[in-house]
Amino acid sequence: MKNFYKYFFLLTIAISVHLSNSELLYAQEKTVSGSVIDDLGDPIPGVSVLVKNSNIGVVTDLDGNFKISVPQSYDILRFSYIGYKTVEENIGNRTLFSIQLIPDVTDLESVVVTALGVEKSVKSLGYAVQEVDGRTLNKAREPNFINSLTGQVAGLQINNSTALFQDPAIRLRGAVPLIVIDGIPSTDNDFWKINADDVASINVLKGATASALYGAIGRNGALMITTKRGGKGTTVEINSSTMFQPSYLVIPEVQTTYGNGDNGQYAYVNGSGSGTEGFGWIWGPRMDVPDPTTASGFVERPQYNSPIDPITGERIPIPFISRGRDNIRNFFQNGLISSNNINVTSGNDQGNFRLSASNVYQKGLVPNTELNNTSFTVAGGYKLSEKLTADASLTYNRQYTENFPETPYGPENYLYNLVLWTGTDVDVRDLRDYWVAGQEGFQQKHFNNSYYNNPYFQANEYLRGYQKDNTFGQIKLDYKATDDLTFTLRSGMNVYALDRTDKEPKSYVKYGRVSRGNFYIYNSGQINMNTDFIMSYKKQLGENFVINTNAGGSNRFIRFRSESLNTDGLAIPNFYNVANSEQPLQGSNRLTQEQINSVFGTVDFEFMNAVFLTVTGRNDWVSTLPVNNNSFFYPSVTLAGTISDFVTFPRVIDFVKVRGGWSQVSDGRISSNPYSHIQAYSPGINWGGSPSLVFPSALINPNVQPETSDSFEFGLDTRFFRGKLGLDLTYFQIRDFNNLISVPVSQASGYTSRLENGAEFTRKGWELMLNANPISKNDFNWNVSLNLSTYKRVLTESFDGSDRFGNIQVGERTDQLFSNSQYQRTPEGRLILGQNGFPIRDPYQRMMGFQNPDYILGIQNTFSYKQFRLGFGFDGRIGGTIYSTTHEKMWWGGTHPGTVNQFREDANNGIRSYVADGVVVTGGSVSYDDFGNILEDSRTYAENERAVNYIAWNKTTLNAEYTHYFDASFIKLREVSLTYQVPPSLLKRTSLQNASISLVGRNLLLWSNVENIDPDSGVDNLQTPSVRNIGFNINVSF
Amino acid sequence: MKLKNILSLLLAFSMLISCQSFEDLQLDPNRPVQAEPSLILTAIEANAFSTVSAGAALASRQLIYTNSATDNQYYGWQRSGFGDYDQLRQVLKLREEADRTQNDSYRALALFFQSYYIIKLSNTFGDIPFTEAIKGQEGNFLPIYDSQESIFLQVLEDLKTANSLLNPESGEILGDIIYNGSQDKWKRLINSFTLRVLMSMSIKEGDSSLNLAGRFAEIINAPTIYPIMRDNQDNGALRFLDLEGNRYPFFNSNELRTAYYMEKSFVDRLKSKNDPRLFTFADQTANGRDLEESNFNAYEGMGGAEPLAENTNQILSGEGSPIERRYHSDPINQPSLLMGYSELAFTIAEAAHRGWVDLNTSQYYEAAIRASMEFNEISEEAIENYLAQEAVQYSTSDGLRKILEEKHTSFFMNSGWEAFYNQRRTGIPTFSLSDQIINPGGIPKRWMYPQNEIQLNLQNMNAALQRQFGGQDDINSLMWLLKP
Repeated sequence: MKNFYKYFFLLTIAISVHLSNSELLYAQEKTVSGSVIDDLGDPIPGVSVLVKNSNIGVVTDLDGNFKISVPQSYDILRFSYIGYKTVEENIGNRTLFSIQLIPDVTDLESVVVTALGVEKSVKSLGYAVQEVDGRTLNKAREPNFINSLTGQVAGLQINNSTALFQDPAIRLRGAVPLIVIDGIPSTDNDFWKINADDVASINVLKGATASALYGAIGRNGALMITTKRGGKGTTVEINSSTMFQPSYLVIPEVQTTYGNGDNGQYAYVNGSGSGTEGFGWIWGPRMDVPDPTTASGFVERPQYNSPIDPITGERIPIPFISRGRDNIRNFFQNGLISSNNINVTSGNDQGNFRLSASNVYQKGLVPNTELNNTSFTVAGGYKLSEKLTADASLTYNRQYTENFPETPYGPENYLYNLVLWTGTDVDVRDLRDYWVAGQEGFQQKHFNNSYYNNPYFQANEYLRGYQKDNTFGQIKLDYKATDDLTFTLRSGMNVYALDRTDKEPKSYVKYGRVSRGNFYIYNSGQINMNTDFIMSYKKQLGENFVINTNAGGSNRFIRFRSESLNTDGLAIPNFYNVANSEQPLQGSNRLTQEQINSVFGTVDFEFMNAVFLTVTGRNDWVSTLPVNNNSFFYPSVTLAGTISDFVTFPRVIDFVKVRGGWSQVSDGRISSNPYSHIQAYSPGINWGGSPSLVFPSALINPNVQPETSDSFEFGLDTRFFRGKLGLDLTYFQIRDFNNLISVPVSQASGYTSRLENGAEFTRKGWELMLNANPISKNDFNWNVSLNLSTYKRVLTESFDGSDRFGNIQVGERTDQLFSNSQYQRTPEGRLILGQNGFPIRDPYQRMMGFQNPDYILGIQNTFSYKQFRLGFGFDGRIGGTIYSTTHEKMWWGGTHPGTVNQFREDANNGIRSYVADGVVVTGGSVSYDDFGNILEDSRTYAENERAVNYIAWNKTTLNAEYTHYFDASFIKLREVSLTYQVPPSLLKRTSLQNASISLVGRNLLLWSNVENIDPDSGVDNLQTPSVRNIGFNINVSF
Repeated sequence: MKLKNILSLLLAFSMLISCQSFEDLQLDPNRPVQAEPSLILTAIEANAFSTVSAGAALASRQLIYTNSATDNQYYGWQRSGFGDYDQLRQVLKLREEADRTQNDSYRALALFFQSYYIIKLSNTFGDIPFTEAIKGQEGNFLPIYDSQESIFLQVLEDLKTANSLLNPESGEILGDIIYNGSQDKWKRLINSFTLRVLMSMSIKEGDSSLNLAGRFAEIINAPTIYPIMRDNQDNGALRFLDLEGNRYPFFNSNELRTAYYMEKSFVDRLKSKNDPRLFTFADQTANGRDLEESNFNAYEGMGGAEPLAENTNQILSGEGSPIERRYHSDPINQPSLLMGYSELAFTIAEAAHRGWVDLNTSQYYEAAIRASMEFNEISEEAIENYLAQEAVQYSTSDGLRKILEEKHTSFFMNSGWEAFYNQRRTGIPTFSLSDQIINPGGIPKRWMYPQNEIQLNLQNMNAALQRQFGGQDDINSLMWLLKP
C-alpha cells in the first residue's frame, strides 16, 4: 500500500517543493547527494529532503536518489516521508548520504483502500483491517501468491496443498473471503491468475463490517489487491527468483522387509491376481532371504520381469530382494519454481504507466509434469483534463500445462502406485520401459494389471492438459466537479476460457476398472462484468466537523458456459481425437447467467479528527432468488474513537483507539448454480438411445428468502513506548441466521433434504496482532510481528424447533468429524472383540474430534543491518483433527513399517498369533439411547485371548488399534530470507539504480504429531510428499 | 475535455452494463421443469431391473471374497438404507405424469414399481413407512411406519389393480426398455411377481385369514384374466449393451476379477449333480487350468464361513475357482432379471408341492431348470442329460429341498437378494456357519433401520420397533413375514 500512497502524493510534493526551491538563490553553496531506502532496502521515491530551518528542499526521484544545494550557513538535512520516522543528519563535510527510513508505527494518518476502492485513514476505521506489503510476496516465491500469505494475517487460515497446481484452501474468520483486484470483485476464485510481481499491496478487510458495501459477495470479508502503477521518471526492473526443491519435508516411509503377495506367498502369473501372486497386497514373503542353493544366493521367485524360459515358456525365478527400497526418491524428481518478471514504469505530471511481463515455471515432483503461468499487464493513469483523470489496467494471464498430476486416493494417484501398493521387491527403475513388448499402445507393463498403474506409464501416457486464458482489468474515470464533489465511474471484467483434456491410454487402471482408452474434453468460459458509479461529496462544517458522503449504483453480470465431450473407448490406441471413439460419444453442456443490480450509500461523520462514525447502506436485486424475494438491504454502522486524544495516559502509552461496528449482510445465492431455487428434473441414464429424466432428491421451497449474517466486532488499537510496541485486538461475533439450508429429512418422505430458510450459527473469535521494534539503532533494526487468532462456529438454533440439525446438537460446534465405521469400545475406550478375535462394528456414529484448529498463529521477524536484511517466519495451527488416509491404507495394505513384527512372520507361516489388545464380553448387557450413548451397562469383560491371523486382522480391520484420526497441530518454519542490498556507492559506476540479491527458503522445518503427512494441507487423502523450497532472488532496476 | 467527449465516454460505459430482465434469468436452460412419463419410466426401469448383486451372492454362499472378512459373507452387517425411497419418488412422478396425460398403462406400471420397491424395503427391515411415504411434497416429513402385514395385503391389492388397468386400450407405453411397450408382457410380469409375493409369505400358509393358497390359485386358474410368464421370452429382463453406462455392471471390474471366488458348498452341490452350469459360473482353479473346461475336477470352492486366511491360502495354492470371466470381461454377458420365468416355474412347482394348486409339480420343476439352463446357454443335450439324473428328478419325499436348491442355483448373479430371502424363508439350502461368523445369532434375519431415521424420524421408527420387536433394533429379530 505504501507504494501506492507514495505515488499518490509524489506529484503534490514535487510540485510544491520545486516551486519553493526555484525562487531562491544563494551565493555560497555546496552540493550534496545520496539515496533513501526503506526498512526493506527498497528505494523510496518522493521523500522530502529539506535543509533544516530553510525553505530549500527537493524530493527523491523514483530510485530514491536526490541531489541538493545547501548554503554554507545551514548544517542539517531533514528527511521526511509520510508513514516513516523523520531523520535528521548533520552535513558537516559529507557530500554523500545513504539514509534508511524506518516505518513509523504510530503514524495513523496513512490510508488504506477500503470497500469499493474508497481510501480512508487507518485512524478512522471502525473495523479490523490488516495490510500486507506486496514486497513480502516476491522474493521467496510460491507458485501461488495466496500461499505466501500463510501466517501473515490474523484470522486468515491457509491450508497449503503439497501437490502441483492444487488450490490452497483459504478461510477468513472461518469462511471464504472475496478477492477484489483494483476495486473489481473477482469471484472466479482463481488465485493463480494474480502475479505477485504486480501486487503493490493486499489489504485484508476481515469481516462483513468492513466489506458490507460489497453486498452478499463481501459477506465474509475481502482481500483487496492493489496493483502497481508507474512513478515519475522511467525505470526498468527485473525480478528473478529460482526456488529448488532439493529435499523432502515429509515423505511416507514404507517397510522394506516383506514384498508383494498375500499370506506370505508370491509368484507372478499374469498380473491379474490369478493364483499365487496375491491379488495386489503387500503381505508377501520376506525379502532378502539368503539361499545358498540359488545362483544369486537369495531365495528366487517368478516375477513380472523374469526372463521366460524359451523351452517351457515358464518364468525363470529371479532373486526376491528389496531393490525398490528407494522407490519414492528414485521416481520423484526435484521440483523447481522459476519466476521472472520484467517491468517498465514511467510517468510525469500528466500520468504514468507500467508494463509488466512475468513467467512462472514450475517443474513438478512427478516426471513429465509442469505448470507455466504467464502474465502481461499494462496499467496506468492519465490526467485528461484538470478535472478528469483516468486509470486503467489490463492483464492477460495464461496458465498452461500439458500434464499435471491427479491427487485423490486411487490408482490415478502416484503415491498410490508408488508407496501404498507396491512392495519394494519391485524396483521402480525397472519400470521405465512401460509397454508390454508386442502390445505397445494396448497393454502397459506392470507387476499388477488390475489395480495399479506403472508410474512411468502414467506420467508419460496418462496426460491431463490444462490451458486457461484469463483476461481481467478495469477502467476508472474520476471527475472532480468541484473541490467537494467527485464522480467516479468504474467498469471491470474478469473473463476466462478454459480448455482441458484428459488422455487416457488403453490398459490404464482406474478405481474399479481398466480403461479401453478414452479422450475427454472439457471447455468452459466465463465473463464477469462489474460496473459502478459513485458520487462523493465532502464538506468541512466548522473547524472540528467533516461530513463525507458517497452514493452510487452498480451492476454485476456473470455468464458461464461449459461443454464436455468424451469418447467411449478408443479405436486406435494413443490417437486422441473424439472421432476415434469406438462407441457413440458422450457429451453434456451447461449455461448459467446471473445478475445483481445495486444501489448504495455511505455517510462518514468526522469529529475533531478523533471520532469517526460511518453509516452505510446497500440494496441488491438478485436473479438467484424468486423475483418476489429478490430485493434486500444491507446496513452497517461503525464508530472509531481515539481515546488518547481526550484522555491523558501514562507516558508509555502513546495512543489508544477503540472501534466497534455492526453490519447486516444478506446473501441470495443458494449455491454455485444460480438456478438452485428452481425445482426441475435432471438428466438420467440413457439406455441404448432412450434418454431419461430423474426428479432430484432435494425438495425446494419456492418461497425461499435470502440468508443473513449479523456481524458485530469490537477492537482496540494501542501503541506504546513511542511506537516501539503496537497491539491490536479484535473480538468478533457473527450470527448467521435465516440460512438457506438443506434440511435433512427422513428418506421415506421421498426426499433426502429440503431447501428452507432456517437454523442459526454463531461464529466468534479473537484476533491479536502485536508489532514490536525492540531494537532500532543507527544501522541495526529488529522488527517482530506476531498474530494469533481463534474462532469457533456453533449451532445456536436448529430448524423447526428441533434440538439438532443433522448430526449436530444445538449448542455444539459444527466442525465435528463423525465416523460411521468405528468398532465397539468399552466406556474406558478398549476394543471389544467378538468370539472370532476380531472387533465388533459399532452401529452408531461416533464423534472423532474437531476439524478446526483452536489457534492459528504466525510470527515474522526482520533484522536489518547495514545492507543486509534477515527475515524469518514461523506459523502454525494448534488443535484440530485430521484423518490420515495414508496411515490407514499403509496398515491395510501391509506397507506400514509397524507391520514388521513377529505376528506377521507367524501369519506368513500360517500361524495365528496376534491377540488384539482388548476385551471380550462375558456377560451382562448394555442399552443405548437413540444416539448410541450408553444408558445402562452391566457388561462384564475378560481379556481377549483369541489369537487371529495378523494379516487377516489388518486386511479386515485396517488395524483397529488405530482410528487413524490424529491431532493436526503443527508449527512450521515457513520462510527464511537473507537479502543483500548493493549500496548505492557501488552502483554508482554502473547503470544500475538498485540491486539486491536474496537467499531464500520456504517450508523448511515442521513440528507435528502426525507421521508421514504434512498437516498443513488440512486433509490427507493420500497427499503428495511435502518439499522444502530453497533458492535465490535477484532484483535489479536501471 | 469537452462535454461531448465525456458523454461519449459515459455512453461507452453504459454499454458494459447488462440489462437482462430478472424474469428471463429465472429460466434454467439446463433442466426441464416438466417431463413426459416415458422419460421417467426409462430411468425407473434401468434401476428396478438392475439386480445383479455380488453382496447377495456372498450372503447366499455362492461366492466368497478375499480382500477382507466382509460383512455380507461373515454375517456382520448392521444397518441398511432407505435408498429405494428415492426410486419411489420417481414412481410418484411417473404416476403424476400418467394422471396428467390420462394414461392407464403408466398408472399400472407406477403401481407395479411401487409394489416392487415397497416389498424390497419391507423384506429388508420389516415394518416401513408406506401409506405416509413419499409425501414430502405435501409437507409430511415424519411418515409413520406401516405394519408389514398391512403392506403385503395392500401390495397384493395394488398388483391386482395394476393388472386390471393394463389392456390394449389403456394407452401407449413409450420409453420401455424392457418389453418395448407390450401391455401383455407387463401383465405377465405383474401377475408372476404377485405369485412371488404370495410365496414369500409361505411361512404364513397356516393363517387362513390370509388365504395364500386361494389367492395363488385365483391367478393360476384364470390365465385369461391373469396371464403369467410362459418362457424366457417373457422374462422381466434388462439387456445390457456395449455402450457407456449400459454395460454389465461388473464389466472390467478389478474386484470381481481378482477377489471373488466360488463358494465351496455351492460348487460341491453343482459337482455332485454334474450340473453343467458350473462351467458357465466358474473358471478352473489355477491347478486345474490344464484340464478340460467340462471336467468337474477343475473346480473347487472355498468355505464361506472358513477363516479369510485359510481361503486365501487355498487360492494361493492354486485350488480355488474364480468366477467365470464373462462376468467381468463381457460387456453384455447376460441380462439382469427382476424376475425370470425360471423363478416363476419354481414358485409354481413349490405351490404345487405344498398343495396350493393342483398342478404337476415335476413338470414345472423341470421347466424351471430348463429355463435356468437356457438362460445360461447350456446346450439342449446337456440339459436332457442333466434332467435324466435321478438325483435331479423331483420326488415328493424331499421335493421341497430339490426345488429350493435348484432355485438357489438359478438365482446365481441375478434377481437381487431372492436367493437369500428364499433360504431365509425355508432354510434351504443350508448356509454354513462357524466361529468366524461375526453375528452371534448366525445368519441375520433382517437389517437395522438407517442411522438417518434415528436423527430424522425417531418417534415413528421407535413405535415400529416397539410394535415388532419390543423396542430393540436387532438383526436377529423375526419380522411378521417370518413368524409362523
